[in-house]
Amino acid sequence: MKPISYPRVNEQLFSETLPNGLEVRILPKEGFTKTYAVFSTRFGSIDNHFRMGDGSDVRVPDGIAHFLEHKMFEEREGDVFQKFAAKGASANAFTSFDRTAYLFSATDHIEENVMTLLDFVQNPYFTDENVEKEKGIIGQEIQMYGDLPDWRVYYGLIEAMYQNHPIHIDIAGTVESISKIDKETLYSCYHTFYHPGNMALFIVGGVEPQQLMAQIRANQATKTFPPYTPVDRFYPDEPSEIREKMKVTQLTVSLPKCLFGFKENLKGTLSPEQMIKQELTSRVLFDMLFSPSSTLYQTLYEENLISDQFGSDYQVSSTYAYSMIGGDTRDPDLLIERTRALLADFSKNGFISTDFERCRRKRIGGYLRLFNSPEAIANEYTKYRFKQIDFFEFLSIYESLTLEDVRKRFDDHFDWTQLAVSIVRSPS
Amino acid sequence: MQKTRFERAEEGGLRIHVLPTDRFKTYAVSMYIGSPLTEETVTPHALIPFVLRRGNRAYTETKAFREKLDELYGAGFGFDIYKRANNQIVQFRMDTIADRYTGAAEDADLLRETLTFLLQTVGDPALENNGFLNKYVDAEKVTVHKRLEAIINDKARYAAERCTQEMFANDAFRFNALGRMDAIEKLEARTLYESYLSWISRAQIDLYVVGDTNLSKVLEIVKPLWKQKHAEKMVYQFGDERYASRQEVNEVIERLDVNQGKLNMGLRVPIYYPDEIYPAAMMYNGILGSYPHSKLFINVREKASLAYYASSRLDGYKGMLMIQSGIEIANYKQAVEIIKEQLNAIADEQISDLEMDQTKAMMTNQLNEVNDSAFEIIALDFNAVLTGTERTVESIISAISKVTKPQIADIAQQVKLDTIYFLRDRKGEKSE
Repeated sequence: MKPISYPRVNEQLFSETLPNGLEVRILPKEGFTKTYAVFSTRFGSIDNHFRMGDGSDVRVPDGIAHFLEHKMFEEREGDVFQKFAAKGASANAFTSFDRTAYLFSATDHIEENVMTLLDFVQNPYFTDENVEKEKGIIGQEIQMYGDLPDWRVYYGLIEAMYQNHPIHIDIAGTVESISKIDKETLYSCYHTFYHPGNMALFIVGGVEPQQLMAQIRANQATKTFPPYTPVDRFYPDEPSEIREKMKVTQLTVSLPKCLFGFKENLKGTLSPEQMIKQELTSRVLFDMLFSPSSTLYQTLYEENLISDQFGSDYQVSSTYAYSMIGGDTRDPDLLIERTRALLADFSKNGFISTDFERCRRKRIGGYLRLFNSPEAIANEYTKYRFKQIDFFEFLSIYESLTLEDVRKRFDDHFDWTQLAVSIVRSPS
Repeated sequence: MQKTRFERAEEGGLRIHVLPTDRFKTYAVSMYIGSPLTEETVTPHALIPFVLRRGNRAYTETKAFREKLDELYGAGFGFDIYKRANNQIVQFRMDTIADRYTGAAEDADLLRETLTFLLQTVGDPALENNGFLNKYVDAEKVTVHKRLEAIINDKARYAAERCTQEMFANDAFRFNALGRMDAIEKLEARTLYESYLSWISRAQIDLYVVGDTNLSKVLEIVKPLWKQKHAEKMVYQFGDERYASRQEVNEVIERLDVNQGKLNMGLRVPIYYPDEIYPAAMMYNGILGSYPHSKLFINVREKASLAYYASSRLDGYKGMLMIQSGIEIANYKQAVEIIKEQLNAIADEQISDLEMDQTKAMMTNQLNEVNDSAFEIIALDFNAVLTGTERTVESIISAISKVTKPQIADIAQQVKLDTIYFLRDRKGEKSE
């Protein structure tokens, strides 16, 4: 096991793929007390239609990846949180569109905690009773999100954009959809997606990599898995058009919340290289357009159309890509009208080389700052690794971008027929 | 592990704390400006940092001000306003990439540029006609007003805020750190600048720098830049918070359009950060509700399946503890009952060895993690400055390891439930 050196960020990464297919990455951080470990599977909320090991084609209830995440913490001997707590480790997990991640941070007993992490995720224990009980807890989680205006306006926009793609289904599902989950469906999902070949383990912190890797190897060697065959996942055809121009949700808020964005018309599949270039180019462009140093931001702030929480985001994967812009506003219609006018100005006068250089520099600074955070390194690395992209190489991609790339991105992205709007406002 | 030791000095009323280390890829800079929390000053003091972040004398226009931050490799710049007992603290933060990672020119000096920017922003604001700029004051009044109004958007936060108001109905602690909504309107550029001058001269100001530098370098940068007049400094107030407790628990039920009920229970804990027994209060909070192995999580969530979250938070400056949970509205009485049972259980010393060991291990871990974050190292050290009681990571860990079950039960017996606040839906609401 030889480390790969990344001199620009002054990091060394130890990598190994174990015989059972598990990808292990260890990043020692000199001087750090804490170790953060995340064990992830490529199974998220969008993976609701796939082929199982026996060749049968299955559709699973909405919210099952997240439900499974909750249930993994239960073992025959009891709750895994208890086991981590005894070794002083803070454990947690999360489910996103395309992955489920189990994690802990600890400053002591690192090897034992890593073994606990591997063992509990590789040891499902579902019973009719414990599955039923979880429905009450997750039901309350769904209710909690239902009361959060920021979540509702965010999800509302994705719902407005996507007609068939499962990204438009809430990660936790609904109270109704999770009522259909039973232990059999959980086991089917588990056996399909929790094969080591579909998973990655990333550890970062004050660790000795060779010794830790040996322990992980030994742990995995004691377990048997069938040979890995990549999972066939089915995504429905998604029309290039948005589902609806505007989605309005009613909830008590002090000011309307408005997010709007453009659904990218994905023509064919992007290679990982194209995908990351598109993402980073968009981020530099969005800083030029929407960050606090932009003309648009300062103008809209002066016109009292945005608050200081105004922001933008850009997401791209192999099956979906979209932008998200907005925040709280007194007048959603006027905000969009003014944004459109200011973007038209920008297309004529905005592509200034010094502004581009400044925004790129800001992005590079933000990227380097992430390396202070073990959590950010591990989660970002894994997120991109699952898309066949190397997170440690972003610096050179940022440096290769040109003003021409940004201009082209602007022309490709801002297609006003692709605009969708989501608003949360108080009931009248 | 590297030892963390601050080098300290004072310059023109500014207390400077520098921690030289090359562990991080950035320079972390924090400036704390503290003043007493009072009804009259809470609103102008809250508005001041909003106006300061619009522009300083060198970069008067906000666009130029923000462009400068982008040029410093997108330096993180922000501020928070919060309460520590009855003190209102404004904290400015900056976070800039260390020069060795930028690939910039040899003579680049991002720490100098960062400190210069921060000190100019706090000490040398953009002015017109002996006051702040009207346009900035007007816009930021609207912003602060909106922030206060927006508390209601996050119902869990709103419930915590309302429970605090109920608990401290006759105490300045009831005010939000962002001020009073009804006091914003009358603030204006001239008088706000006068408030600023008196604030900056009397406030306690602590400047922290953590990164690849040292005290003499920081002093050399700061000396020519910091020219504030300083009057007699206020001292941080930790007066007698041992307020009279209520005879009966105050129960407040409010209605809004919510799907989920938000339950908050506010308790008075007459044990404070400087108290020798304070680590036992931290353990009490840990056993009760800080972790997934704590009594609240296990009993409210795992056993009764009533909630997704059920936790507690200790405020050792003010001597209060807040329990919060999101529940099905119909389960209100049952949830309160289960929570009270947990409070009683600890008072009866129903604490297992496992709970003790787990809680000590979790707290030790959390404390050790402080050393991996520049801003957390700063925050812990600032607690010593604030309370006059130095507690280091090592000393707290050592004190926690010695806490016993009877000490925790003793804390539990001093804890007193003050207010139960429940935010529920409008169903079945009586019409007026």
